[in-house]
Formats: sequence, C-alpha cells, structure tokens
Amino acid sequence: MKRNVLVFVLVVALLTGLVAVPVMANDEKPYIAMIALGYGHQFWQAVRMGAEQAAEEFGVRITFEGPEDETMVDRQVDMLKTALANKPQAIAMAAIDTESVAGILQEAKAEGIVVVGFDAGVGDAESDAKVSTDSVEAGRLAAENAARLLNNEGKIGIIGHSQTTIDAVQRVIGFQEKIAEFPGIQIVDIQYGEGDHLRSAEIAKTMTLAHADIDLIYTSNEGSCVGAYIGLREVGKIRDIMLVGFDSSAAMKDGIRTGEIVGAITQDPVGMGYKTVEAAVKLLNGEQVDSFIDTGCYWYDASNMDADHIAPLLYD
Amino acid sequence: MGNELIQMKDICKSFPGVRAVDNVSYGVRAGEVHALVGENGAGKSTLMKILSGVYTKDSGSIILNNEEVNITNVRDAQALGIVMIHQELNLMNHLTVAENIFFGREAKKKSRIILDSKRQEEETVQMYARLNLDVDPRAKVGRLTVAQRQLVEIVKALTYDSKILIMDEPTASLTSGEVEDLFRVVRALKEDGRAIVYISHKLEELKLISDRITVMRDGQFVATLNTEEASLDAIIQMMVGREVFETKQSPFEDTGAELALKVENLNAGRMVQDVSFHVRRGEILGFAGLVGAGRTETARAIFAGDGYTSGDIYVGGKKVTIKGPRDAIRAGIAYLPEDRRELGLALGMTVDENIPMASMSKFSSFGFIQFAKSAANSEKQRGVLDIRTPSIRQKVKFLSGGNQQKVVLAKWLTRNCDVIIFDEPTKGIDIGAKNEIYKLLNELAEQGKAIIMISSELPEILRVSHRVLVMCEGRITGELVGDEIDQNRIMNFAVKRNHAAGGQVG
Amino acid sequence: MTQTKTLGKRLTGTEFSHKLIIIAVLVLLVVFFYIMNPNYLSYGNIMTILLATCVNGMLALGVSFVIFTGGIDISVGAVMTFSSVMSGVALTRWGFPLPAAILFGILVGGFCGAVSGIGVTKMFLPPFIATMAMQMITKGLSLVVSNMRPIYFTSEPVYQRIATGSFLGISGFHNAIVILIAVTIIAYILFSKTLIGRYSLAIGSNEEAARLSGVNVDRWKIGIYALGGLFAGVGGLIMSSRLGSAQPQLGVGYELEAIAAAVIGGSSLSGGEGSIPGTIIGALIISSLTNGLRIMSVPTELQSAFVGIVLAFAVYFDQMRKKR
Repeated sequence: MKRNVLVFVLVVALLTGLVAVPVMANDEKPYIAMIALGYGHQFWQAVRMGAEQAAEEFGVRITFEGPEDETMVDRQVDMLKTALANKPQAIAMAAIDTESVAGILQEAKAEGIVVVGFDAGVGDAESDAKVSTDSVEAGRLAAENAARLLNNEGKIGIIGHSQTTIDAVQRVIGFQEKIAEFPGIQIVDIQYGEGDHLRSAEIAKTMTLAHADIDLIYTSNEGSCVGAYIGLREVGKIRDIMLVGFDSSAAMKDGIRTGEIVGAITQDPVGMGYKTVEAAVKLLNGEQVDSFIDTGCYWYDASNMDADHIAPLLYD
Repeated sequence: MGNELIQMKDICKSFPGVRAVDNVSYGVRAGEVHALVGENGAGKSTLMKILSGVYTKDSGSIILNNEEVNITNVRDAQALGIVMIHQELNLMNHLTVAENIFFGREAKKKSRIILDSKRQEEETVQMYARLNLDVDPRAKVGRLTVAQRQLVEIVKALTYDSKILIMDEPTASLTSGEVEDLFRVVRALKEDGRAIVYISHKLEELKLISDRITVMRDGQFVATLNTEEASLDAIIQMMVGREVFETKQSPFEDTGAELALKVENLNAGRMVQDVSFHVRRGEILGFAGLVGAGRTETARAIFAGDGYTSGDIYVGGKKVTIKGPRDAIRAGIAYLPEDRRELGLALGMTVDENIPMASMSKFSSFGFIQFAKSAANSEKQRGVLDIRTPSIRQKVKFLSGGNQQKVVLAKWLTRNCDVIIFDEPTKGIDIGAKNEIYKLLNELAEQGKAIIMISSELPEILRVSHRVLVMCEGRITGELVGDEIDQNRIMNFAVKRNHAAGGQVG
Repeated sequence: MTQTKTLGKRLTGTEFSHKLIIIAVLVLLVVFFYIMNPNYLSYGNIMTILLATCVNGMLALGVSFVIFTGGIDISVGAVMTFSSVMSGVALTRWGFPLPAAILFGILVGGFCGAVSGIGVTKMFLPPFIATMAMQMITKGLSLVVSNMRPIYFTSEPVYQRIATGSFLGISGFHNAIVILIAVTIIAYILFSKTLIGRYSLAIGSNEEAARLSGVNVDRWKIGIYALGGLFAGVGGLIMSSRLGSAQPQLGVGYELEAIAAAVIGGSSLSGGEGSIPGTIIGALIISSLTNGLRIMSVPTELQSAFVGIVLAFAVYFDQMRKKR
C-alpha cells in the first residue's frame, strides 16, 4: 500500500515536471507571433532567419508562419486568429490584404497587444511601427539605374508580380514616377505574371514580339525576373534586351554574374526580420521607436555583387 | 351525376417513333373516382402526365369548369388544382413530414425570415385529422413506409387545395392492409368532392374503389364503363383487344438435361431468405411475385454477391464463390437488369462499344482493341437478334427500348454465358417488340441456355415459362409446373405472407 | 428561353460536332490576332505558343482521362511540382544518374495518381476530396523535401536541353514541343485504340453497367488516376527543364487551367464524353488566346476574364448542341 502511494506520488511528480518545464519556459519569455505574406519563398526564410537571430539575442520566443501562396487572404486571417488565441504579447505581420485584418488587429491592440507591421505591413491605424523596405524608394532606385543604363533614352516594359499587394504595387509606382522624369524614356507595356516563373517567361516572350524595339524589361520580384530571364533566353534576345530584376536567388545571381541580367535591387530580408523583432521588443519594454523603420535597399550588379556590404544580402 | 369537372378532348402526343396518346378523350366528375386502365404502354401515364403538366400535348384541348385551360408545366397544373402523385414519389427523405408537405411554401413568422415549424406541424396534424389519420409531423420521411409516404404526397396535394388528384399505380407496392387504409382515404377525398383519376392494372381493386372505368389500348381510347355494369372479363378483353386465350409454353421435356444452375439456401438480407432452386439447360424458369418480393435481390445476390450472407451456388455442377459480377461472369452467368438504361448500358456509347463490353479480353491483345474483330461480332449479333439500328456506330441512347434490350442481350451472347437471368425483360418495350423478345427467349432455351426470367406481368410469365417459382417477402412460396401454372395459383402464392402462412389463408 | 434555344440551334446545327466548333474557335482567334498584329503568326511566335502549351497541355491530357471516368483530379498542378522536386532531389542529393532521376520523377507522379485512385475506389472518397487531399499533401511535401528552396540543375546542362534544346536541329522548335506532340499521340492511341480509353468512357458513361459487365472498375480507375499522375510527372519534367530548377512553390492554379482545357475540348465533367484531340485543341485555344491578348497589351486582369468567357461559351454551345 505504502509503496503504491510512493509510486503514485513519483509518477505524478514526474509527469508534472515533464509538463511544467516547457510551460514555465514558455511563460518566462515574451511571445511574438510573426505572420508573413508567404512561407515557401526564400525571401521569407531569410526574414525568418533574421527574426530568429534577434529572438535569441533579446530572449523572446517567436513563431513564424505564412500561407503557402501569397494570395490566400482567408488562410492568413485564420493564421492571425489562431496566433491570437495563443495570447502573444506582440504580433508582427505582413498582411496580404490590410483591410481584412484591420478589425482583428484593432481588437488585439485594444487588449494591449503590440502590433508591428513588416514588409507589406498592416494598415497605418493598426500598427505601432512598420519595419519595411520603402518599396517606392526601391522602385525609384531601380528606375535611376535603368535610366543610367539606357543613357536616358529608350523603351521599357514592366513585368509585375501582383496588382493587389502594396509593396508590389509600390515597386512599380516608384519606378514609373522616377522614369517620368526622363522624357526620352517611355514605358510601353505593363503585364503581371503572379511571380510565376513560367507565366513571366511567356509574358517576356510576347513583349519582345509586341514591341520589337523594347530596350529594357523591369521585373518586380524574383519569380518575374527569373521567368523573364528564361523567356528572353528562349527567344535568343537576352543579350539584346536589358533585364533589371528585384531580390535575388541562385539563378538571378548567375544571370547577373554573366551580365545577362544587368542588375537588380536587393532588400535586406535578414535585417528586416531582425529589426522587426527588435522593434517589437522595444515596444514591449515601453521604449519609443520610429513609426517607420526603413531596412534599406541596394542596387547590385556584376561589379559589386561580391562586395562586403552586398554579398550577405544575397541569397540562393 | 353532374357534369365533368375536367375534360380532356382529342388529346394527341407523340414521342420519337411512338404515338403514345392518339386522339383520346377523358373526363372526371367532382366526387368521382374514375379509373384508367390498360396494359403497360397503353398511354395511361402519358395522358395523365399531360394533364399534370409534365408533358405538353401535341394537340387537343383541356377544359376545366367549362373553360379551356392551357397547361404547359407542372406549375400551371398546380395553380389549376391538378396534382399527380407519381409512382416514384417526389419526397425529400431527410426532411420531416411537415417540412415535405410545406416544401416551397414554408410557413414563416411575422419577421418573414424565421420559419415557423410549429405552425407547419400543427397544420399537418389538422390535415391528417380531416382524413381520420394520425401522424407524427416530425418524423423523417426516409423512415416511413411506402404507404405512409404516399399519404404524405396526398396530404401535400390537399394543401394545394387540389380539386383533381391523379394517382398513378398507388397500390403497386402496398400490403393488403395498407391498401385498405388507402381506400379509406380515397373515399374520404371523394366525399369531400374531389375528382380522382385512378391509374391501375389491378382490376380487382377497381371494382372496390372506382365509379367509372376507362380502358385504353395502344395509345387509343377503347371504352368508358360504369363500374357496376362492367365485368372483369369484359375489361380484360378490351385491354388486350382480343379473346383472352392464354398462350402457354409447351411443357419442358425433362430428359435429364444438365443442371445449369443450382442455388441452395441463399440468404442476402431481409429480401432473400433461404432461397433454393435450380434451372436446367434448355429450361425457362419464371420468377413471379409482386413488386418488392425479393426477386431482383435474389438475382443480384447470385450475380453480384450483393448482400450475400450464406448459401451455396453451383454452376454446371461445380460450386462457385461469387463476390462480384466478375466471378459470376467467369462462371457463365449473365444478368440483364430491369433498369437497363441505368444498369445495363453505356448509353452515350455506340452499339459496337456496348456489345463487347463484357468480353473485351476476346477483342483485345496487349490492351489494344481489335476493332475489326469487334465490329464483325457486333454485325453478327445485329443480324442474329435483328437489332434495328442504322449502324453499329449508332449511340445506344438513340435506339428504342426493345433494341436496347437486344444490345444488352448481345453483350451476353458475345460472352457466351450458359445461364441468363432476365429481370423484367419487356419493361417499357412496346407490344410488337415484346413478342420478338419472347421468341428470342425460346430460341435461347432451344440452344441449350438456362433462362431465368423475372417478371411482374403474369401473361408474360404464363406465356414463356416452363416452370414458375413464386416469391413473397424474400421467400420462395410456391413452385408450379406445366398445367398447374395459372394466374390464380400464382397470385395466391404471391400474397402468401409469412405470418399468414400459418393458418388463416382465406 | 425559346429564343436562346433557337440561337443555339442555328449556331450549332445538326452536322456540327463539338470538334468542328472548337477548331473554328481556334481559327477565328488566330485570324483575329493575326489581323491585329501580323507578328502573331511569325514562326517565332507560333513556337512560343506551342511551347507555352506544353505544360498545360500535358496536365490537360492526363486529367482528361480522369474526367472521362466522371472523376476530377485537382492535384495535377501540385503533383507536377512534387515530381519535379523529387527528380531534383534524386539527381542532386541521392546521386541518381540523369535518366534514372527523370524516370523517378515521372514515376513519383504516377504513384501520387495511383494513391488518389486508391482513395477514390477503396476509401470511397469523392474524387474532388481525394485529389484535394493529394494536392495538399504534395504541396506540403514539395516544400519540406526541398527545404523551401529551388533545386537547381545547373550542374546538369543536359537537363535543360531536354525541354529547350532542339534535337531536330531546327532553331526555336524546342524538344518540349516534340515531347508534347509525342505524348499527345501516345494519349490518342491510349484513348482510341486501347482498353484504357474504352473503359474510362464506359465507367464515366455508366459505372454500374461497366461493373455488371465484369469490368474491374476499381483497378481501372486506379490505373487511370495513375496515368494522370504520369502525365503530370512529364509536365513537371518539362517545366523544371525549362526553368533549370525545380521550384517547390510553383504549380498553383495549373490544375484549373488544365481542367478548363479539357472542358473547352468537349469533356463533360459528368463523364463519358470527350476526346484527346479536343483536349489538346482546348489547351491550344487557351495559350493562343493568352498569347494574343498579351501581344495586344491587354491588361492582365482582363486576360483571365477573356479565358473565362471562352470557357463559358464553349460549354454553352456544347449544351445547346446536346439539347437538340
């Protein structure tokens, strides 16, 4: 009898110990839930890397998720709701559709949860801070370099990746704004390929046919750029038409190294992830942060891609 | 009796290849049950489908209350107070009695959004009470018996304030007790001043329930009689159009022909209980009984293993295990289902694609179809069975019922099966083609095939079978050979219910 | 109502078969775009259109057989991606020789299809559900297996030449087009000369009748879904060869375009109807239309609307033809 009691007590102690340790560990650290636009793409994995790095440094716990596809608004809303059910101290989010999450985030804020937007961000009213590449600025930077390469004269086609995501739209708007300052340069066509490599390839091919005198194609993300790269190669015009890209990947780096892609804009996704967590931690500690934290963007081409300040921002 | 409430005058309706209704006039008075009789395919149902708006007439007129009316769809008919209670009941099994009755006109609360189930249920109970019946308005229709479902249909019709009710074979699948109940309801409706069209070919019933009887034959009007004055023999004669002489099959010469199929103590659910029988090569075995007696289920248990729980099947003296159609076919059993359009044919495919369907291994090598060989066989079958089609490349859906049946038969002849089970082989086939099918059955038997024919048409059973088995409620209740085979004996066995079998058979 | 009926009757007529209608649609589209921009019919652009048809055409051929049976396969896009990822993994991580890796990828596609088929037949899942499950499973597995990164075939220049080289030695006439033609012929033979085609139509036309005729419906169905998977595998090969990489997040929405091609080509989603030439013409209509609209610089959002309209009308005319 006594032995039974002893065994029982031991088992209970062991079980509570097993359960309690992780629970306590969780409870000690502030919890920041991060929800990205997508998940599979390398860009998000780089953001995640930066965020995890910061989480370790600042001693917070983070979760990082995002829908498989950057159009799944519903899925993202569900992810947000689920994350809130886990009682985070802070939410960091890149919303596919800012409207559809505005209400939920306002409620969260009312409950004292810190809301930080990153990348595409969330609505201004909901966010305590936004950590992002200034996409308009990035578009302008691409346009400046394009104008330089064209010697202020020529025709440009644009292959965008989305007509609904804010930063995708801004990358194109910034580009158009800047190009408008060069009277010798004309934008002759804008098409959207959903960032799908194959679709973007077909678009690039038809563009060269519809506008035989096109000089340069600007693409607004990695999928569009690699797609256009493949398409132009298939019609044998990769050396005749300058291709300007956005972001990076192994394929893009190869293209840039050989000069087939004349250059591209890179953001700093690792820095973005890091600064997002940093901003959230500061806000949780009651410190002031800027309402917009620019994580910067850079032009890179064959000449500078191995430089110390660029190479770490490029990923495979 | 007064004037007729509704009159149909000189109605004609044709379908491709058939004059279904040819210049027929018919009418019903208020407070009258007017029966409409005729053989299958005589045009009764078509005529009533015209009245209820399912079909539109080609010519003729319909007069209601001395005014000509135009009925182009079911809604028109309903608005005029004409409702048909179909053989296949149109109820939703997952909804309750009250929900079914008020379907499409749900009672709503003041808000006009929220449904008022309580009011619906109360009204349902009241409607039933008017017919002196009890009801649980919340019972799911799927759980009700066929008879109860029929009542739901009738009550539903009453809620439309229908003046004219058309009942199509209402007693087809009812027990005798249920038939009594139904008749009580019909009489109540009559007293209420409603006009009732009663389609049936159970002539004995008509004597009990109808006031007048109209006979149709081959789409044409034959006669209208007052029930009191009509004799059953006279009616039958009018239906058939000739002296009723029952051609009988010559008795089977049992010269000890090989047992083609033997079934012992077959059990498959409630509908097949301890069924044992055999059939010899060259013999035509008729399976008689009422609809729902378990004959089709027996055939499906033998052919497809459906519901099989126990029992032994021997083909050509060898015991076989049948789990699915493939086993049966391999053993040499063929099955021509009652519902050939749903179960027997790929309607969208051609004659030449349907005929070899059960024997593709004969017509292919390494998966490649041997078109020439298949076409040669199809042409041969087309000749042998006299399948009337412009080409073997015609899609089966464009053939007539009789020719479709022949295509199914050709499929099994191609497979060269020894035992052929026909389930209602002439259902939906016109009279001329029926005779051809009977001739084919005889020929097949002469060739040494064992034929099992399930049929609900007694004349057909009498005419074709060497021997008759009668089923009732899943059991074989009688066996008749040669001269013993007659209509009365068969009917006796067909209604020999299990509980009654003990003593008090009348 | 009567008016639309007569309109349909007049347009379709007795003699018109569905194939003639869609060939006419294709010709009309081509003529229209040629008038708008003569470059549309340049050799280069014809090749562009054909190349653009390759992936969708391949998926559409595979899904056609499933649609003939009255089923549907919405996993072909994801399975295509998964098989290209698996062949990439086999090549770069497991050190398979190139031909083995390619074959492996295609077989993975066939395997996925077979699993869907087993779900449909043995687990009684509705085809939509079974293949939706397969879509989600392969989508997830593609990301997991690849660590969410593209798998590059840059070390295997031969791999890229599978699709974009030209063993015929005609510039612009890429191997992918040759493969599409070859696979179309194979599909046509399977459809019209073998038991697969006969039984897939029979099952779609009347599954119970096929079963009662002794056809092993389950086995054939599994085989037909597997066949669809194999075609998706070949599609994956062509796509990853063109891209020089297997992109694990690709393939979204490809299944719907493939189904659209089959439907425009005269396949009925309730089964028992359709043809391989129809499907391939359907795929050509979609790619010629998209190509032409792009050349006219029609905004992207309207392009998809136009494809939708063509789809709706293709089916409308077919319904009218059948109603007669």
